[in-house]
This record gives sequence, structure tokens and C-alpha cells, in this order.
Amino acid sequence: MRVLLAALLLVLVGAGPATASTPRTHTPIEHLVYLMQGDRTFDHYFGTYPGADGPPPGVRQPVDPVHPAAGAVAPYPLHGSGPVSPGAGPRLVQQQFDGGRMDSFVSAFERQGRDGRVAMGYYDRRDLPFYWNAADRYELFDHFFASSLDGTRANRAQWVAGTSDLKGPTIFDRLQQAGVSWKFYVQNYDPKKTYRSPDDLTTQTVRVPLLDIPRFVDDPKLRSHIADLGEYYRDLAHGTLPAVAYIASSGAGERSARSVPAGQRLVRSLTSQLMISQYWSSSALLWSYDGSGGWYDHVKPPAGRGLRVPALLVSPYAARGAVQHGQFEAASALRFMVENWGLRPLGGRAAQARSLADAFDFAAPARQAELIPADAREAALPVARRPSPAPVYAVYGVASALVAGLLWGAVRPKWRMS
Amino acid sequence: MTDRSVLPSGAPRTAPVPAPSGIGVRAAAPLILILLVAAFLRLWQLTATGFNSDEAVYTGTAASLAGDSRLGSLFPVFRAHPVLFQSLVSLALRVHESDWAARAAPALLGVATVATTYGLGRRLYGRRAALVGALLLAVMPYHVVVSRQVLLDGPMTLCATGALYCVVRYSESPAPRWLLAAGGILGFTVLAKETSIVLLGSLYAFFALTPAVHTRWRHLLPALGVIGVVVVAHPLTQLLAGHARTGGSYLLWQMFRRANHPYSFYGREVPWAVGPLVVMAAVAGLVWLRRENTWRERLLVCWVVVPALFFTVWPVKGFQYLLPAAPVFAVLAGRTLTSFPRVIRAQRLAAAAAIWLVVGSLAVPSWVRIQPQTSTRFLAGTGGLPGGREAGVWVRTHAPAGARLLAIGPSMANVVQYYGLCPVSALSVSPDPARRNPSYRAVPNPDRALRDGDFQYLVWDAYTARRTPFFTGKLRELVGRYHGDAVFTARNANGVKVVVIYRVRAS
Repeated sequence: MRVLLAALLLVLVGAGPATASTPRTHTPIEHLVYLMQGDRTFDHYFGTYPGADGPPPGVRQPVDPVHPAAGAVAPYPLHGSGPVSPGAGPRLVQQQFDGGRMDSFVSAFERQGRDGRVAMGYYDRRDLPFYWNAADRYELFDHFFASSLDGTRANRAQWVAGTSDLKGPTIFDRLQQAGVSWKFYVQNYDPKKTYRSPDDLTTQTVRVPLLDIPRFVDDPKLRSHIADLGEYYRDLAHGTLPAVAYIASSGAGERSARSVPAGQRLVRSLTSQLMISQYWSSSALLWSYDGSGGWYDHVKPPAGRGLRVPALLVSPYAARGAVQHGQFEAASALRFMVENWGLRPLGGRAAQARSLADAFDFAAPARQAELIPADAREAALPVARRPSPAPVYAVYGVASALVAGLLWGAVRPKWRMS
Repeated sequence: MTDRSVLPSGAPRTAPVPAPSGIGVRAAAPLILILLVAAFLRLWQLTATGFNSDEAVYTGTAASLAGDSRLGSLFPVFRAHPVLFQSLVSLALRVHESDWAARAAPALLGVATVATTYGLGRRLYGRRAALVGALLLAVMPYHVVVSRQVLLDGPMTLCATGALYCVVRYSESPAPRWLLAAGGILGFTVLAKETSIVLLGSLYAFFALTPAVHTRWRHLLPALGVIGVVVVAHPLTQLLAGHARTGGSYLLWQMFRRANHPYSFYGREVPWAVGPLVVMAAVAGLVWLRRENTWRERLLVCWVVVPALFFTVWPVKGFQYLLPAAPVFAVLAGRTLTSFPRVIRAQRLAAAAAIWLVVGSLAVPSWVRIQPQTSTRFLAGTGGLPGGREAGVWVRTHAPAGARLLAIGPSMANVVQYYGLCPVSALSVSPDPARRNPSYRAVPNPDRALRDGDFQYLVWDAYTARRTPFFTGKLRELVGRYHGDAVFTARNANGVKVVVIYRVRAS
């Protein structure tokens, strides 16, 4: 009997609290946070990042592909220029793609009578110090593709379901079935704005696809998983962070030029709070972008995918400063979740995409958290420059020798006498 | 030899003839025993409590010199002081990088000061007085407490006592070599801590008030030159290291900063630290034996009075600043305690009892003061800061790299910064460059900095909270506004909360 009790005790202790409520994970990642931001391309944000697959030298986009003499536009830095935003819908993005020829990024705008030059603008470390610092310290994907060329709604559907429509199951259905904790945090969440809202003006249902699905709105149990972003911070502080957390931003969504700094502040806050919480050692935070928004990118996407978008992974198992060249997409995270928590297969892209697990280095020990500085260069302490110790030792050594010599000179006559 | 004796005419001209002593170990045994006692009190449980602010800064500087890149980015080598002592500590850290190694350096220099005090006392008043003086210094709380810390004042006192010995030798004989040696060691004293330059004033007062001790310009000028040559090591190292202007900014700040203690500070603190019975014995001896007073007593009095007056007027006061007076008090008290008549047995017993009473009155408080402290009142220079090391170690092991902390004041900030290896700012650091230590970085708008996520933790400590209620209230406000969550609490030996680290968030 005693042996039986001891064995039971051992099983209980070995199981630990994590397994009491959620299935054991297949990797050290017990908490995945996935933030989806607005419309940006990889070349637009990280095209000049060292070691990444940026635009080839001399690349240009013709103003009119049919008439090359009309001129061409090279990528140019947006630093110092006024806030610009192409504001492209799915139709224009399809025109830019031009059936895979990738030659109409400028001309698609020109055909609408707009200045197409804006599509070739790019940012660098001066404009995106936090993101570039994040890439320096964690992992940057340079072949992370948007799920679709068909706009935000389709991409966001892919984000949660692995398909472009929301008729089938989502990853949250699977998590719910498996008893894996999850939450969908929404910046500036307004519970009244759902698929039932009378006006079509709200973008909340686009940003938060679950609010477009009746069962997630009508079932109080499922609905309770959708919460304001403030709850993310409270969950971190109170030790109630769910296993899977999706985050949809609002004002900090980086769809406009003015919201880019706000986006960086948001991601900085999300990452910093995760790092100082108890969850760091078992967590991963991924953020990516849901579409190209009309910005230029030089890599032709695989069939059925959108253009490359920026994506970064912050985790104790992310290699420091690595550029991940493998092909990934939003569904890579879905596949990872299915595999990591042993969920029922989700189908669609989630079954085809390369798993996000390939981006981690689980062979290495968990890294200590390293906060990401907000500035391009952290201000040094006023007089922190460390001089070489050699002159200090040399000068004080000479002074010591001089004093010793004087003392010797004072004491010596007495010794002579004795 | 020139007769340098002053009043009264019958007073001894040079050092009293040492009493016939035993040979070898037997003769040296009392001094060895005293040095062992001194070493025990200075090394026992040396690191039971972590560094205080000044120790953190000096050890940080030393570690920086020793090649520690992490501390090198947090603690600049050149701050307010020359780095003679820090260079010595850096050598100790190169051998063994630990708090113990850093503190053992001043502790051993403290033991050396006891030996030097014996030499001084023996020269002035003979072996018995020297032994008593050395014993008093060995167990004196003031000297024990200060020499157990990585502070500049312990090494400065050793050098100052050595310089005093050389001046005594010069005053006894006209040989300029002793004045040159005194100049060299005095220069060294200044390199240990620049404020000791005030001891030149003591010597000026002594020579000016003692015409019987003839000084010649041809002796004085070379000695002053030697001081200059030795002291020039400080600006020279700064120049070679490319920090030529650093010292200037510190000097300006020190000159115009607000007074940190009232005028009565030294009168209130130092006699208790030196020992009231020691002070009484020293003063009583000057009065009681006034007929025997010579240039020796005048020299010792000048050595104490001038710095005491100077630092009373000087706005920046530190508990340990008057430490060079400690050996003088010990020697004078030793002189008095060995001057009691010892003709009959009862007199001898009474004389011995008086000595042991004074020694006991020092040893007991010394023993108490080297125990872990339980008070939440902390006077800089009186020992380690309970809880500071533990807080810093928590930060080092739990906070992410690149984390930034905000404390109430720079004292705890320095300690947590040293042990935590990450930058710690302080609320009370003035945004006005003229009103702050040039090493500190102000946080002009802490509210905004927290809102922007520039700080991840706030640090409250009981010691600063007692001193600055305004900034403590400000920190409390920030803790409340930014959802402060206590993630670490350090308590003193009585279980009283002394340091709390709050994790904060803007959202």
C-alpha cells in the first residue's frame, strides 16, 4: 500500500501543474504568443538588413512595363521624408504581382493616376530601431510569406484557420477541444463590435476573425476567451498567461506611417513584459504582418501565397541574431501548435506549411532574456569609457617606487650606523 | 645635532630612551598579539554584509581596472578621486575576484596602520605607550569599522600616519631626508584620497606655531616639490587615459553641492566612534601632563584640529573623513594611560585596570558593530548595506539582460548596479548638471520614462526612505500608478523589510 501511495505521489509530483490542466507539450515551448500587424513587406522593413535577402543591387521597377522608356524607380530610403502610405487594396496588390512577373509595383499606382514611386520606399535601422535591435538579438525570417494576395480579411482568416474562409474549424476550436488554454487579446477591444454590428465601418471583425464567427460571439464560454489587451499584462503578472495567445493590435497596427512608432512601442511592451515575467523560459513570441499593402518586395511568392512580410521570433530558443532563410507563413505557427499540443489536425495550410518548430534551436539551452533597446544606439553613461589600465598601473607604480626610494634614503643611514 | 626641545626646559629632547627589552620573539610578542587582534577584528565575517554605495563604486572602479568588462561599462575609472587604492584593489581582484578580496586589502592596510601607530608611539613616548596606543587602535570601533570597508580613508590613514612618523623624525633632527620622505608619503596620502591635502595645513600650523623646530626653505621646498611630483600621478593618469577634464567637473560639483550634514556632525559622531574614554584620556593627558608637553603634542594636536575644523566647515561631510586622527588619539591616550604612577602594587593594578577598562570600552562596541546590523538607519561609511547585495544578486539572476531599474537615491542604485550588473538610475538625482554627481544620469521625467517602458523595476529601500521622504513618496506613487508587483524583498537580521524590488508595467 505504501509503495502504491509513493508511486502515486511520484506520478503527481512528476506531472506538475502544467499537465494538470493542459496537455504536455512536445517542445519546451509551453506558451506561444502571436501578434499580427498591418501591411508591410520584407524589403520595405528589412531589405537592407545585413545577411538578409534584400533587393539585388541595381534593381528597379518600371513606371510602365510596356514602355521601358518611361523610366524606372529604384528602392529609396524613406528616412527623413514625410509620412507616406501607399494604401493598396487586394486588387492593386494583384496588379503589382502581375501574374508572377513582379514588375508592376510602381505602374499599378501610376495606372490609377497616383504616384507609384512611394511603393519603392524602404525603412532601415534609423526608422525601425526597435525592430532591427530585435533582429540583432533574436531571429528574423526573410522568407516568411503572407498567406494570400487577397487582402487583410483573407490573411487574417488564414492566421486563425489555415484557410481563406472561416467556415471550418479554427485553431481555437482545436485548442478548446484539447483543453489547452488560449486567449485572443485585442487592443482597444470593443465587445459590441461583432459580426452582428449594423454598420460595416468597424474593422474589429477584420482584425479579430473570431468576432466574425457566430459561435465565438454567441457562446459565452468561447466569447470569454476574447479580451482586451490589458489582460495580457495582467495575466503575465498574475501567472495566468494561457498556452496560446493571439494578439490583434489597433492603433499600433502599422498600417499607416504614423503608427509605425506606436507599433514598435507595442511590441516592445509585449516582449519586455514577457521577458520579466515567469513565462520567459517556456515561451515564444512571434509577430508578423498580414499583407504587403502595396509596398515593394523582390521575391516572387510561392503559388497561392502573398508577398514576403517581416516576421520576428523572440524566444529563449531563438538563435541570437540569426536570419532564418527557410520558407514560413502564418500557417507554420498553426502547424506548430497542432504538433506541440497534440491537437487534432486542422487541415488546409496548417497541414502543408513548414512548422515553426524548425525555427527554434531546442538543442541549445534556454537563453537568458535580453531586453530589446528602443533606440538605435543606447546612450552611454556619462564617463563610462574604460581606459587601458596600463598607464594607470605604470604611473602609480613609478610614484610608489619614488616614495619607497625616499623612505629608503631616510632609513638607510641608521642602518649604516648599526 | 640641533637642540629642538621646547617648553619646559626639562622635557625630553628626543624620544624617550626605549626601556630595555627582551630579545627576539619575546620582545615582539605583545605587538604580534596586538596585530593578530587587529587582524581578527578586521577580517572576521568580512563579507557577512554586502557593499555599501562607496564600496560598490570603488570596487566597481577596481574591477574595471582589472578588466571586468561588465562592471567597466557601469563604473567609470575616473570619478572624484585618484585611483591609487583602487589600483591596489584591482590587483587583489585579479588574484581572486570576490568581495572578500576587495575588502581584505583595506583590512590588511588597517593592520599595517596599527603597526605604524606602534612605531609612531614608540618614537614619541616609548614602547609601553606605543603598545597601549597600538592596542587601542587595534580595537577602536572607528578604525575597525572603516578599515573593514573598501574605502579610501583606511589607506589614507596608513599613509598619513607614516608621514606623521617622518615629520616626527625630521623634528627630532635636522636631516632633510626625513622631510623629503614625509613629502613623498604625504603625496602618497593625497593619491590615496585627495582630501588629505588638508594635512599640509596641519604641518603649516605646526611649523608656524613651533619656532623651536627650525625649518629651512632648502628643506621645505624640495619636500613640497616631492609632494607635487608624487601627486602629479593623478592628473597624469587621467591625461594618458583621455579623461583630463573629469576631475575638474567633480571638484566643481563637490565645491558647490549642498551640505549633507550639519556643523555638529563630527562632534556628534566621531568621539563615540573613537571611544569617549580614549578621547578623554588623550585630552586629560594633554592637560595633566602639560608640563611635559613639547613640540610632539603640538604636532599631534595640529594633526587633528586642522582637518577637524576644515571638514566641519566644508559642506561635504563623511563619517570616515577624520580617520587620520584615530592613530593620534590612540597614541595620546596611550601616553596618558602609561603615565600613571606605578610605584606600589595597588598603583600598578589600578594603572593596568585603567588600560583594560579603556580597551574594553572599545572592544565591546567594535564587536557589536561588526555584527550584521539590524537598524534601518544607515550612516554612510559605517559598514555594509544590509539587503543591497541580495537585491543586486536577485537582479543579476532574475532580470533580463538590458533591464533598467529606478531607485529612490543613488546609494542603493550604486549597490544594486554593482551586484546586479545593470544600470540603475535614481529619482533623487537632480536634472541640473551643476547639482549632481557627474557620474549619475538623471531621469528628468520618471513618469514618462516608465510610461515608455524604459524601466522594468523600481527599487525601494528603508535607508533612503528615512532620509528622503519626498522622493520615497514619489516612488510609491510610481509603484501604484504602474502596477508595481513586489518580486523581491530583503530583510535585515531583525526581519525588517529593508529592500523591495517592484516589477512595473505601463499598460
